[in-house]
Amino acid sequence: MLLVYEDSHKEHLSFLTDLETEVLKEFGRISLNFIRKGINPKIFQGAAQKLGVPVETVQHGVEGLMYLLIEGSRFLLNEVDFQDSLMTLGFSEETRSTLLELYLEHRREVRQILDDMSLDLPHYHNLEWRFDVQLASRSLRHQVAPLVLLKLQTKDDEAKKTTLLQTDPVNLVHVTHVLEEALQEMKSGYFRRIARNIK
Amino acid sequence: MEFGPQVLENIALAGDAAHIPDKIFAKLVTCACQGVLNEDQRNIVEENPAFKDTNKAVLKAAFSGLVTLIIEAAKHDSSDQNISSLLEECKYTADKINEFSKIFLPQKPHIQLLLGKIGFSFPHIVDVDWRLDYYIKNNNVEKVNSGVYLISLKTEIPGEHELKDFQFSCTVEQLQDLVGKLRDATKCMERIAQV
Amino acid sequence: MEEVDRIIVHSLRSIGCDLEDDVQSLRQFTTEVIVSTVVRCLKVILGDIDLPSSLPPGMSARFRLGASLANHVQDLGYKGGDLGYQTFLYSNETEIRKIFMFLVEKLPKDTSQTADEPMGSSVLLHRAISTELGYQLSLAWLPPYLKDKGVRTRTRPPGWQREGAFCLHHFRGRHISTPRSVGSLTVKIPKELRSYYTNHLPYVTNQTSLHRDTAPSVMETNVLEVASHQEWENEWNQLGLASRLTQQEFKRRKHERLMKMVKERLQQDSQHQNGPDSRAAASDLQQILSNIEAQSKNTGLRSKGSRFAHTEKLQYAADEDKAMTQVGANVATKDTEEEQEKKRQEEQERLRSELANITSDLEKLELEVRKFTAGRQKMEEIIASETKAIVEKKDTFSVKKRTLDLLPQAEDNIAKLQAIVDASRQRLANLAKQWEAHRDPLLEQYRQLGDLNSKRESEAQKKLEEIKQFRERMKETADDTRRKDELYKQLISEYERMTKDVNRSAYTRKIMEIVANIKKQKQEIDKILVDTKSVQKEINLLTGKLDRTFAVTDELIFRDAKRDESVKKAYRLLAALHENFEQLIQTVQDTGVVMREIKDLEEQIETESNKKILSNLEKISADLQQMKKENSGLLAKVKGK
Repeated sequence: MLLVYEDSHKEHLSFLTDLETEVLKEFGRISLNFIRKGINPKIFQGAAQKLGVPVETVQHGVEGLMYLLIEGSRFLLNEVDFQDSLMTLGFSEETRSTLLELYLEHRREVRQILDDMSLDLPHYHNLEWRFDVQLASRSLRHQVAPLVLLKLQTKDDEAKKTTLLQTDPVNLVHVTHVLEEALQEMKSGYFRRIARNIK
Repeated sequence: MEFGPQVLENIALAGDAAHIPDKIFAKLVTCACQGVLNEDQRNIVEENPAFKDTNKAVLKAAFSGLVTLIIEAAKHDSSDQNISSLLEECKYTADKINEFSKIFLPQKPHIQLLLGKIGFSFPHIVDVDWRLDYYIKNNNVEKVNSGVYLISLKTEIPGEHELKDFQFSCTVEQLQDLVGKLRDATKCMERIAQV
Repeated sequence: MEEVDRIIVHSLRSIGCDLEDDVQSLRQFTTEVIVSTVVRCLKVILGDIDLPSSLPPGMSARFRLGASLANHVQDLGYKGGDLGYQTFLYSNETEIRKIFMFLVEKLPKDTSQTADEPMGSSVLLHRAISTELGYQLSLAWLPPYLKDKGVRTRTRPPGWQREGAFCLHHFRGRHISTPRSVGSLTVKIPKELRSYYTNHLPYVTNQTSLHRDTAPSVMETNVLEVASHQEWENEWNQLGLASRLTQQEFKRRKHERLMKMVKERLQQDSQHQNGPDSRAAASDLQQILSNIEAQSKNTGLRSKGSRFAHTEKLQYAADEDKAMTQVGANVATKDTEEEQEKKRQEEQERLRSELANITSDLEKLELEVRKFTAGRQKMEEIIASETKAIVEKKDTFSVKKRTLDLLPQAEDNIAKLQAIVDASRQRLANLAKQWEAHRDPLLEQYRQLGDLNSKRESEAQKKLEEIKQFRERMKETADDTRRKDELYKQLISEYERMTKDVNRSAYTRKIMEIVANIKKQKQEIDKILVDTKSVQKEINLLTGKLDRTFAVTDELIFRDAKRDESVKKAYRLLAALHENFEQLIQTVQDTGVVMREIKDLEEQIETESNKKILSNLEKISADLQQMKKENSGLLAKVKGK
């Protein structure tokens, strides 16, 4: 598949087609940094002065490049598709290969960043357990009640949450058994068929 | 097992044939067990016609003595021997001691169950539900394509009447980690059970 | 031999060998039984060894088993002759007996003792934990709705376990009251209290608002009583005994002291506070103080517990009132929210203004009242002082009047008065004398009685102590009896366990008999030996005599033979006679030797026949045949491949 651009976008990117390879690499580096850490307007001014062009042009160029990288990573474009998408914008052979290199090198990272930004459920982080035997209580001085104490840590975005739970041997065996079955399901033919078919 | 002087006096009162006739002693012990165990029989002595002719004040005192004795004996899991030596000190006859043990000992586990219910605990896992999703894409990323589990632990919380869910999601690797740890715990218990 | 066999068979049974009931001697042992029992013995002696406990079907496996058995027995230190597979597989009685005697001797003797040794509490705990875990792990899982609030009861072993938390509730102790000292005759209970106990006090199990709080409450009440009793005992031992008061007095003193302290503190604090608002509070306080005083006078003997109960009851009553009013308010409101709100506000407004009016009225009235009371007090004071003045004046008036009456005959009257005074003085002196006379014997009596009393008291003390000692001794004796009972039970159980063994005494008796038999036999053997010796001696003597007689006769006849022909013949006859007899003796001796040899041979035959050689030979040949068959089968298999 190819990326689809809007007109303004094309215009913004057209600034990049005329740049030298070194400068383009620099632009690529800046865009990646911005994707990682957010936009820093001061850098636009420095670059604009150096190149002798208006600040807006530089800004549009960098933003266009960022968009290009993000969209590519988002759709997980392969080499050919990415290059073809660049071609429609009128990039030369040399600049295309530079950008492709940049894209391939950082695709995983950008995807990771995008993934981190997406909707997240509280998910499993860590589990600690401890085996206790309750031997006495205030109202019953002689008893033997085995218990398993579980400290379950879940993570929602970056917030960690710790929950203390307990269970008895019978239920522990049951829970373990049920979750083992759940894991087996992942290896079942049904799941694999679905995973194969949805690509 | 320790008793205050007043309690001992009341226990002795229950065994004193001058106050509590021999033929209702057994009934009184049975009532004490029932009264402690069952909510609908908490007023059983009052309703029982067998105690009609007994002095109520004495009956109440003796009853409270027996109830205390029963509860404390169950709490400390006292042996037959300990109980009989205590009753001997309260001037019980051997027959009465036997009678008491005969009624009380079969009830002891039930009373201990009642006492065992007093306490507190963390949410107690009693069951687990799971669901396997195939995560395809989201608004930011396409082609995620991975299996994701949603786990819901059903827990019981003291004082509530409905199971409460504790939900979280995990990837295959995380679930493997979780199951591995749980299996460790199970294995550990099995090892201890075999010693 | 029978005895030996029986002992061996018994000890084999005791280590768990599976022997038929009618097996009495080793002769009845088949090869299989021999092998299995030897294996069993070796397992008991050596602990863990890897041997099959029954005879395997294959010949070669049998051979191997026999060889390894022989090895093990030799490793244990068996020295009686050469052991091999044949000893077990083709057995003969004597050898097997020897081996079993050796093995039985090697059996560990104190197996039963080691098992009975008491275990440490930690071991017991560990075992309890592991068995409990084992039970629980062997149970199937049940969904929560099938359990009674998370509790699961087991039938085997009987018991229960918690598999959830719904059943749990907190330990809440409420106050519980029980009739006190209703059974004792020494303590008087007020009639009202008794009627409360009889008619109104609920039974213990029916006192808490929630039934599940009954058990904790009963426990806590008991604990409270134990604790306060201990506390009191400590205090009494430390301070009370030294103060030489009775317990009751000591308690009352303490109570009074405390009350005084409280009162002083309250008074101090109330003086610190000032301002109009505190006036009312101060009067409340005053009331409480006076209450305290009244209480301390009335119920100085009540213990702390009951007072606590009292105040608590008051609190509960207040709470209930509050709750009631709240409930009342809730019922009245059934309109919509807004209306309610509006109404409420209006009502509030109205009530507030009303309240303000009332308070202002009240204040005014209070002021007036105060004014009036002040006026009244003043008036009362005035009245009192006036009445006092009137009384005084009346008195002075009467005295003055009497003196005025007496004035006309002053002399007479003075004398009369003098006489009266004298007479009274006289009478006083008389009375004093009389009093003295009465007092002395009374004092004496009082002293005597006091002495008597103290003596009696000390006697009572002594008797009390004796009673206490008796009590203690009774307790000790009871404990002793119980201990002895236990010991008796233990011994009985031990005895029962012991009778299962074949009675030792019978064995020892039999052994003694055997020893005695052996002694008797030995004596007889000695006797026979002596006899033999004497016979030998006699034989020697006779031979000697014969030789000598023959020599003399020979010489005599030989001398005469030269001269007389008939004597010569006689000499020849003598020589022949001698020779014949010599031959005869030789034959007798030879017969004896042959007889002995025959006996020896017979014995040998006996022993050889004991060795079951024939049957063993048959068995061996059969086994050989089988072995050959197996071998050929194996060969065929090899070839088949």
